[in-house]
Parts: sequence; structure tokens; C-alpha cells
Amino acid sequence: MESQNRLWRVLLLALPILVFSVLVIWPLLSSFYYSFTNWNGFNRDYEFLGLRNFAKIWTDRLFFNAIVNTTIWMAAALVLPTLTGLFLALLLDRQVRGARIFKTVFYLPICLSAIVVGQIWIWIYQPDWGLLNTFVKLAGNPDFNYAWLARPDSALFAVIVAWSWQQTGLSMVIYLAGLTSIPSEMLEVCEIEGATAWQRIRRVVIPLLTPSTVVVVALSMINSLKGFDILYIMTGGGPFNSSDTLAMHMYNESFKKYLMGYGSAISVVLFLIALTIIGVYFRQLRKVDEIYG
Amino acid sequence: MAQVELRNIRKSFGATEVIRGVDLSIDKGEFVVFVGPSGCGKSTILRLISGLESVSSGQILFDGKDMTRTPPSKRQLAMVFQSYALFPHLTVAENIGFGLSLAKTPKAEITRRVTEVAKTLQLDSLLDRTPRQLSGGQRQRVAIGRSIIRNPKVFLFDEPLSNLDAALRVSMRLEIARLHRELGDVTMIYVTHDQIEAMTLADRIVVLNGGRIEQVGTPMDIYENPANTFVAGFVGAPSMNFIRCRVDTDGAARFGPATISPARPHEVSGDALLGIRPEHLALVESGDGTFDAEIELVERLGAESLVYLRAPFLEKPITVRTGGKLGLSERQAVGVLVDLTNLHVFSPASPAPKPEH
Ligand SMILES: Nc1ncnc2c1ncn2[C@@H]1O[C@H](COP(=O)(O)OP(=O)(O)O)[C@@H](O)[C@H]1O
Ligand SMILES: [Mg+2]
Repeated sequence: MESQNRLWRVLLLALPILVFSVLVIWPLLSSFYYSFTNWNGFNRDYEFLGLRNFAKIWTDRLFFNAIVNTTIWMAAALVLPTLTGLFLALLLDRQVRGARIFKTVFYLPICLSAIVVGQIWIWIYQPDWGLLNTFVKLAGNPDFNYAWLARPDSALFAVIVAWSWQQTGLSMVIYLAGLTSIPSEMLEVCEIEGATAWQRIRRVVIPLLTPSTVVVVALSMINSLKGFDILYIMTGGGPFNSSDTLAMHMYNESFKKYLMGYGSAISVVLFLIALTIIGVYFRQLRKVDEIYG
Repeated sequence: MAQVELRNIRKSFGATEVIRGVDLSIDKGEFVVFVGPSGCGKSTILRLISGLESVSSGQILFDGKDMTRTPPSKRQLAMVFQSYALFPHLTVAENIGFGLSLAKTPKAEITRRVTEVAKTLQLDSLLDRTPRQLSGGQRQRVAIGRSIIRNPKVFLFDEPLSNLDAALRVSMRLEIARLHRELGDVTMIYVTHDQIEAMTLADRIVVLNGGRIEQVGTPMDIYENPANTFVAGFVGAPSMNFIRCRVDTDGAARFGPATISPARPHEVSGDALLGIRPEHLALVESGDGTFDAEIELVERLGAESLVYLRAPFLEKPITVRTGGKLGLSERQAVGVLVDLTNLHVFSPASPAPKPEH
């Protein structure tokens, strides 16, 4: 049983690993290579700089700005869609009327590309006639025309909301699947023992959803680290770098300033950060496996 | 006054009626076991009593009070499931104390009660483990611990031993019997498809078939006076032999060359089924018995042997339970002696029995 299981795991992993090698390992190695050069992205005559690109990172004010923004971005991307997804899943899990339709509606944004999602939210945030400001105006504030995406105070958070809106459907679906795998007897024990709805959710349902949470968090983390396109569409990292994340910064340095070598150095740092976070995370997984596995 | 009373309860899932009018009174402190084949509605009845499912019609009374619409938590009962339903993220102690902690009982009090219960169930040394680190028998004891800690008046068990291996099943059976004695006046309602559990644990057995009660009675009563062929065939292993016969006006049953007069009075006449348990038949020399037959197969179980016989006038082979060491071989002709004091006569379409009140 156990060894058969293992064989399957290996087989199922073989193909992805192959694809992964071609599409990920090769570019990764190239990045490492160019991070030691001053390549501009076009010419073949670049020089080796040793560690000078990495030294430059330490003096790059915008790099640290990007670190702060990335932290905020990731923390929000981790927490918000997870909580809203969980909330919706708990709400829609019961056999209420129209639950199916709501599930579909909430899942829909996941099927849209970041470009479409970004454009929808640009319209929502549009200062003069956007949905958001129209509501504020109707609510008794006729002169309101705050430009959500053009102000350094709000730009990053405005994109975070759009991102969370899209990602919620994903965590909702994973949690819905998790809910169906909770043995009904465990919920019946709650009913017989007299648990309130809140006690049932907090003491039994949420802990039993841990395997789903593990998946949701892993996906959110990976997606948010990659989360570049929606920022690119909505703010391009601006205004005044207020929504500049590491990925955004790397892009600007590489493709706007044609500092491909330096951009590669940033990407190497980003890669190492991602590796550390994911490494720590997967170590924690073993504990979960021991309890629920 | 009855602790639990079911009045003509019915339950349908969609168009299928699963429980078809069940009446039953269960006394305080009684151990009642529901038996019946898989799918006959045992679990459903238990879930109706617990309130996890609501009846389609009929009434459920606890202590004379109508509880038909009362939520499960207000019925002062506990339920033990076949799958144990322990919480994997909680320790043994936390699982046992689950109900108390929901009720916001002070921590010290919970600890005291958990320790007490754990001692009764010999779980004291396991309190810090999680369910995954326990064996099947230990898990079921934890589940029982979780149910007894709130001092419920009624215990519901849904096939609690079915997931255990044979040896553990025997020891847990004894444990449950002991628990019933020690807890005093608690009522236990126990569901099983295992007739040995039913026979050994029950004060009263309820035989269920197709959502109806076939018979209610003490284990020996059910065994010795089955009300119909279903009960007769279901209780007892190996199963009772049924032989087609004709009953004369004098009460004697005839089949093949044999004529036998059951010692006990009965009211069946005409076409009938003669019911004889395998232990009420004996093998003798050919020609010396009530009728002759040929051995088809001998199963040697050690302490006893099961001998399967056939004869031209028997529709199906009949089973004889006999001593362990026998010089019998297949195809051998033997005589069969029938114990006339333990015969059952059923009319071929055995009427459904009246439920007991
Ligand atoms: N929730 C349900 N919905 C539909 N049918 C059900 C449901 N629960 C039980 N049944 C049906 O009711 C019958 C009796 O089930 P159950 O009480 O579980 O039988 P038992 O416990 O005696 O094996 C079965 O035919 C089963 O398929
Ligand atoms: Mg059942």
C-alpha cells in the first residue's frame, strides 16, 4: 500500500519536473549568470562585475521601498482572500437556495486574466464616473473625486483589494472541497454535545480544514510572489514608486532602464527570499501531516 | 414511566419510506439492542431518537414528555458512532472533555472529571496522545469517554464495535456490559447487525426488518420462540433449518417419509414450514433416526462440527451441529434424530407479528 503510493507519487511528479526543468531551471540559471554582469539586454559585449550588482542593491533606496511594499502586498494577499474565501465557503456550504449560482459568481474572477481584472478595477476606481466614487457621491458626498490609483497613500491598497477580489474564488473553492471531506459524524457530535454555531466553526470546522488552509496559503503565497501583472496594469508601480514591489522593481530596472544585469541580481534576491519562505512553510507542513495525514 | 417511547414513528427520505411505523417503549436502565440486516433502518431509528433526523410522522417521548421536535443537545443523550468520530486535532483529554468545555465548565472541574472518566475506561496513561496514536479499541474507549462525561440519561450506540477485529470486539463487548452495570440507571440503546452482540448484551432485543419491528423480547425468548421465519432465520448461527411439510389435523408434520409430532402446541395446519435449529438434530445410524439422509459436507470447527445433509425430499441441505470428533465422511448415509421438544412450526407466509407494547 505504502510503497505503491510512493511509486505513484514518483510517476506523477516526473512529468512536471521535466517541464519545470526546461521552463524554470534554465531561465533561473541564466538569471544567476547575468546577475554578475552589466548586460543591457541587447548587446553581446557585456563585462563581468563580480558582486558589484549585489553591492548596489544595498544602496538602492527603491529596493528597500520595494521590500516594504512586497511585505505589505504578500501579507494582505495571504490574509484577505483566505479569510473571505473561508467565510464564503462556510456561508455557501449549506444547501441554501441559489448557493450554486453564488459559488459560480464568486469563482468567476479566477477565470479572468489579470489584465481584465485590472481593467475592471480601474473603471471601478475611476475618479469621475467610477463605481466606487459614484456610490460615495450618492451617499451624500457630491464633490468626491478621489483618485484611488493616482495617490501614493491608496494605490497599493487599491490594487490589493482588486487582487483579493480575484483570489477569493480560489480559496473559496478549496475550502468548499475541504468542507465536504469533514466526516458528518464529527459535526453530529457537535450537535449532540450542544455546540453553538460559532463553537462548531471555531473548535471543529476550522481546525479540520487545516489541510485546506495549507493548500490555500501555499497557493496564495506563490500567486502573490508572482503577482506582477495586475500591478503592472493598474499602477505600473507608481505613483512615486508607492506600489513598487520587488517583481515590479526588477522589471523596471531590467526593461525600462535596460540594466538587465542589475535586474537579474534583484531577481536572484527575490528568488532566495521566496525559497526561504517556502522552505520554512513546507517544514511546518510535516506537523500538519502528522495530525491529519 | 418509560424512559424512551416511540409512538408509530415513520421516516421517509424522498419517496422511500425507511421506517414504517415503529412502536416501542424502553424502560429506564434497560439495555435494548436493535438487530437486523444491513439497510433495515437501525441507524435511522437511532438518529430519530437522537434528534439528528426528524421523524416524518409519529411521536418520540422521553420521560413522558414529547421530545419529537427537541434539538439533540436538549435530549440529555450521548451517541457513540461506528467511526468513533474523534477530533484528530485534540488530545484524548480534550476529546473526552469536549462537551464540558463547550458548556464553559471551569478548567479544574473538567480536568477532575476527565481524570475520573479516563480511570473508568483505563485511559489514564493516554490522556496526552492524539487519536492517531491510539489503537482501534482505545479510540472507541475515548469515544465512549466523551459520551459518558456529561452523565447522559440515554446512550445510543451505532455499531460501535464493527470496526474492531474479532478479539477486541469480544473484550469491548464485555467492557460495555460492565459499563452498563457500573453506570447504574442509564438506558442504553444499541444497534448492531451482529447477533452475538445482541444476544450477550441485551435485556431486550428488537428485531428489525425493512423498517418494521418483527419481534421484541428477551434474548432467550427471541431464540426459543421466534415469532416468524424471519426472526427464526436471523437469530442463531448457524441459521435454523426450514423444511417444507404438511401439518395434519392432529398437529403432526409430514415430509418425505417422516412424520413427527412437535411437543409444543401450535396452531398451524396445511402447508407449513418446520423450523429446527442445527443443535436440535442428532446423527445416528442409518435407519435408526426420524429420517435418513446423505452427508454432503462436514465442516470441522474443533470443538464442534457442522454437518450438511441432503435428501431427495429436502429443498436445501440441512445443517446439523454435532460434536467435534466424528468419524464421518462425505456421501455417507446417516440417520437424523429430531428433538421433538424444540420444534417450530410456521405457516409458509408467516404473518408480520404485532409489535409489543
Ligand atoms: N439520509 C438519507 N437519505 C436517503 N436515504 C437514506 C438516508 N439515510 C438512510 N437512508 C436509507 O435508509 C435505509 C436504512 O438505512 P440505515 O438506517 O442506515 O440502515 P442500517 O443502519 O440498518 O444499515 C437504507 O436503505 C438507506 O439507503
Ligand atoms: Mg447503520
